[in-house]
Amino acid sequence: MSEFTITIKMTGDSKHQLQVTSDMTVIQLKEKIAKDLDVSVDRQRLIFSGKVLKDNDTLETYKIKEGHSIHLVKGAAKSSTTGNTSSNTNNTTTTNNNNNNTTTSVPSNLEAGQNAFDPLAGLTDARYAGYNIPMPTMDQLGFGSDGMQLPPEGQMEQMMDNPLFQESMRSMLSNPQMLDYMIQQSPQLRSMGPAARELLQSDYVKNLLTNPQAMRSMMEFQRAMGGNGLSNNGSSFPAPGNVNNESTENNTSASASATTNANVNANTSNPFASLFGGSNPGAGFGAGLGGNPFMNPALNPNLMNLFGNPAGAAAGTNNTTTDTRPPEEIYATQLRQLNDMGFFEFERNITALKRSGGSVEGAIEMLFNGSV
Amino acid sequence: MSMKRINKELQDIGRDPPSQCSAGPVGDDLFHWQASIIGPADSPYAGGVFFLAIHFPTDYPFKPPKIQFETKIYHPNINSNGNICLDILKEQWSPALTISKVLLSICSLLTDANPDDPLVPEIAHIYKNDRAKYEATAKEWTKKYAI
Repeated sequence: MSEFTITIKMTGDSKHQLQVTSDMTVIQLKEKIAKDLDVSVDRQRLIFSGKVLKDNDTLETYKIKEGHSIHLVKGAAKSSTTGNTSSNTNNTTTTNNNNNNTTTSVPSNLEAGQNAFDPLAGLTDARYAGYNIPMPTMDQLGFGSDGMQLPPEGQMEQMMDNPLFQESMRSMLSNPQMLDYMIQQSPQLRSMGPAARELLQSDYVKNLLTNPQAMRSMMEFQRAMGGNGLSNNGSSFPAPGNVNNESTENNTSASASATTNANVNANTSNPFASLFGGSNPGAGFGAGLGGNPFMNPALNPNLMNLFGNPAGAAAGTNNTTTDTRPPEEIYATQLRQLNDMGFFEFERNITALKRSGGSVEGAIEMLFNGSV
Repeated sequence: MSMKRINKELQDIGRDPPSQCSAGPVGDDLFHWQASIIGPADSPYAGGVFFLAIHFPTDYPFKPPKIQFETKIYHPNINSNGNICLDILKEQWSPALTISKVLLSICSLLTDANPDDPLVPEIAHIYKNDRAKYEATAKEWTKKYAI
């Protein structure tokens, strides 16, 4: 067996070169270290590759090779315990192992941990982290008191073009837990029963969510919607998704009122809402898509009917009747904030706030980029 | 891609590991590593060896690795499940970072906790208001679980 050199690293950056062979056992190595470095065997803890080396294993077991570095930690001498060094060190390592085993079992248990019942917790894990995808974590969604802040459209498009983003969307849709969560959170999806799951997993929806082209045409569609007056009826969430719900009249009115009363809730419960909402009217659209995913905005030839659909008008009027206060009253606080920040153009402020659903940040964004 | 990168990191960390940390695959699975951090001398964790589990995502290094303490530790930014509150493991992750750098950051987190962004508010409170008590408890836990 040929000899090779390894480096022993100690705390305080001191290093020591040592000649070893791969069939050498750890206890033999420790004895050698004890001789060279004057650290008694029972005080030595050797660590390589994240593991504490066990006395009876050989260096080969740990794949220790030429040039590798091993850490030496000096522990307190275990004078209080038995004089038998080898069994003594064995004991410590086994304790460590036991310790590891018990602690690893804890996080894998769903009941344990502070995030036990937070299904979004899974979303914040490494798979979906990075790249600042604004959808996964709740705090990133930035819920305001009466609306949410949405990513600007340009950023949205950029994000959509990012292959990694598309990848994570795809993996999210193929994650059954995530699907369950989405379905649970959306009353409409829940009422659809198992069909909802199939739908979300269908190639069509997947394609819609991961194809930048489709998203872009959806956003163009949103812009078109924004222009046709629906967004000016007092509600910032026209929710076109509800509008074309021709087959279920009841559903339409129910969700229309739900939209006014619980705009925020509807969106909060739909983790995807922020994704689809490019800018202002998109929020409603996102919620609408969650609620009524059968709608096919980009491809459906019935699309144009939507705009003329009386149900849509009804939904629109519903919205206005529920909150008859003038916008300057609804957004009094936000208007004051805008004034404080030096935005004095009343009409523009109102329009911007209406479009942002009351989010001051969103309104400022629009005031700056001149879209109002 | 990720395999290549992980292999490269494994080679580097084997030859020239940071002075207080060491890491390597648990078994044959390159995506599952174990690491150990030696408690920094100027901290109440001195003398302890803390084990961590590292899981690499398949799209590493574009996503951060998942790192958890497997040894119990008393620290404002590490909770009882071993989760670590560290920006570079979350939003501040960069593909230019390596396991070795991340472990070093964790080491410095052990020396200098960040009580203003705590994962365990109770410990952070004690850390801020009664440093002696925090150090005593941290030492006691180190002795109990990490030595």
